[in-house]
Amino acid sequence: MNAILTSFTRFPISFSKEFLTVAASTLVLLLLCVLFAPSSLSYGALSGSLPFAATLAIVGLGQMLVVQQGGFDLSVPGGVSLAVVISSHVPAGNSADLLPAILLAFVCAMGAGLINGFMVGFLRLNAIVATIGMNALLFGGVFAVSGGVPRITTDLLAVIAGGEIYGIANAIYFAIAIVLIFTIVMKQTVIGRRFEAVGANPLAARAIGQPIRLYQMMAYLFAQLHYCVAGILIAGITVQPTAFQGNPLLLPSVAVVVLGGTSLLGGRGFPVATVIAAFFLSQLSQLALAVGLPYSAQTIIQALALGFGIAVYSLRWTRLKEFTLATKKEKTNEII
Amino acid sequence: MKLFNQKTKITAAVAMLSLCGTATLAEVPSWCGPSEASVALLDGFGGNSWRQITTASAREEALKCPQVTSVEYADGQGNTQKAISDIKGMAARGIDALVVFGDAGPAVLPAVTSVYKSGKVVVPYRVDIGGKAGENYTKWIGASFVNDGENWGRWIMEILPNGGKLLFLSGPAGNSQGLDELKGLKNVLGEEYVFVNPAPFAVTNWDPALTQQVLTAEVSKNPDIDVIISDFGPSLLGALPAFAKFGKSIPAIATSDGNSLGCFWKENQADNSKFKLFTTATGNDNARLAMQWAVASATGGTMPSDEIFLAPMFENSVSKDPSPVVCRPDMPGAIYNSAQLSAEDQAKIINQ
Repeated sequence: MNAILTSFTRFPISFSKEFLTVAASTLVLLLLCVLFAPSSLSYGALSGSLPFAATLAIVGLGQMLVVQQGGFDLSVPGGVSLAVVISSHVPAGNSADLLPAILLAFVCAMGAGLINGFMVGFLRLNAIVATIGMNALLFGGVFAVSGGVPRITTDLLAVIAGGEIYGIANAIYFAIAIVLIFTIVMKQTVIGRRFEAVGANPLAARAIGQPIRLYQMMAYLFAQLHYCVAGILIAGITVQPTAFQGNPLLLPSVAVVVLGGTSLLGGRGFPVATVIAAFFLSQLSQLALAVGLPYSAQTIIQALALGFGIAVYSLRWTRLKEFTLATKKEKTNEII
Repeated sequence: MKLFNQKTKITAAVAMLSLCGTATLAEVPSWCGPSEASVALLDGFGGNSWRQITTASAREEALKCPQVTSVEYADGQGNTQKAISDIKGMAARGIDALVVFGDAGPAVLPAVTSVYKSGKVVVPYRVDIGGKAGENYTKWIGASFVNDGENWGRWIMEILPNGGKLLFLSGPAGNSQGLDELKGLKNVLGEEYVFVNPAPFAVTNWDPALTQQVLTAEVSKNPDIDVIISDFGPSLLGALPAFAKFGKSIPAIATSDGNSLGCFWKENQADNSKFKLFTTATGNDNARLAMQWAVASATGGTMPSDEIFLAPMFENSVSKDPSPVVCRPDMPGAIYNSAQLSAEDQAKIINQ
């Protein structure tokens, strides 16, 4: 017993407020699912929704890197769509050509990420403006590769991205692997710790000699690589993807970062909480669908969930508590 | 003997020439009149395989008339302002007849009206842009989505005479195509056919990823769905394997055709006892009828008898009438076997 206690003190398990908030919200959501729409938790329903939650989680982690540096990446749709069309058009149904296609997708993603990073990090362009421009450029690439025409994915990619191992979709394994690597790099390595420090206070980081522009550029580069992985997975999961498959991912990618507790002003990131937030959003849609709500209500519920997420992190609860206590005290004084 | 042979040869040659002459005359359609005319196709958004095949179909139709001197094309790229300036630009270039796919709806009506009033032939098609024939444009050639819904409904009654549970998937919320199709379905089907989706249809935005999520959610809620109705068949492809995860057969499907869907049915029907397929033509040939009207008006030909494009029924896996399920494994999945344009030509267009 003593040994266990010692090991706990040596490796204290602490959970951030952000993690606990999103985990608690997800548990409440799961409880609602059990009560009102148990079908949304059936194996079949989850096997349909979880692969997409996994891709959203990967895109969200990419967006989180940029948000941690106080920016926004609006080139998510272009980045994801380009990866989708390159991985489905270039091999043209021939599995043997899949590897060169995937490598080409990564090269394009690196190019886009470096240009984004250079524009924001070194040329000091506004992140929103720079990434909107890049998004248009990436969609130019989408049209150049595909002409806007969908093509059926190669069998090999459909198996890799859309297949299952032990009854769990492969996309989920990809998401778990990425979040593990992400967390270790961010929380356990010097580079990761410095990355967060630069995001939290660039001026202070520069004062202690950190190359802040380089770190900012890297955020955009690695963000694009995340979108690329997500795009390739989507191409495999949907079998016949459209050329604009990234479009619906832009807002959810920001939503999961916010729900995961990362401040839009930059700084500390919460990768595990972001992944749970992706599951939360996906399961929320499944609950709304399973209950049979009309489309308008589904959209409103998702917007409310996002508003709730922002409120939880933005409100200064301690101030609120102090304010309530002070009001009570005043009232008590009046009575006396 | 030699003379006889020569005579025979001459007779045969004369006969052949006269036959060829008749054939050439017969090839000129009645809607192609005596005057020369140039025509243009104006697409609101040309960036998908369906549009590319539709455009090629309209071009092929126009070139059946030797009086057509040129066929121009402009792609609005989903930008309303570009679509409007394309319409005006084509008229300013002196094109005689314009066939307009007015994706932006009534937003293009003022441009269409001004071009029509300047003496051009304007035939908008498929999307209703408002206005009146003879006042704002020459003729509007719509497609009857109600007719599609009725065709699906009649097939559902054949395979499920005692009623059943239906799931209807369409595109963005409130799109008029889906609403018209539902009207057609309800014209035919009685109370015993229950729609399990939220009214009026399950929203998929015609996006394969969203279709997959919506379908699995609906199936987990209603495991005993008898028929899935969808107005974009190929978007179901990624979603249908989900039935295997529920340990169920893929149900009957009423939808529009696509080569990838036909091939999917051929590959999976043996393992899925309830998987029956019925398709209507996806409607690429709507553009042909619009082109016939435009050329007839511009060249002084006879107007076609059809005023609305009725998508014909295409595949029926049960009765094989009018056609059994078609799969061309050697061709791309994104072609439409129901289109008049040959599969080879379609493949060339989308592989450009």
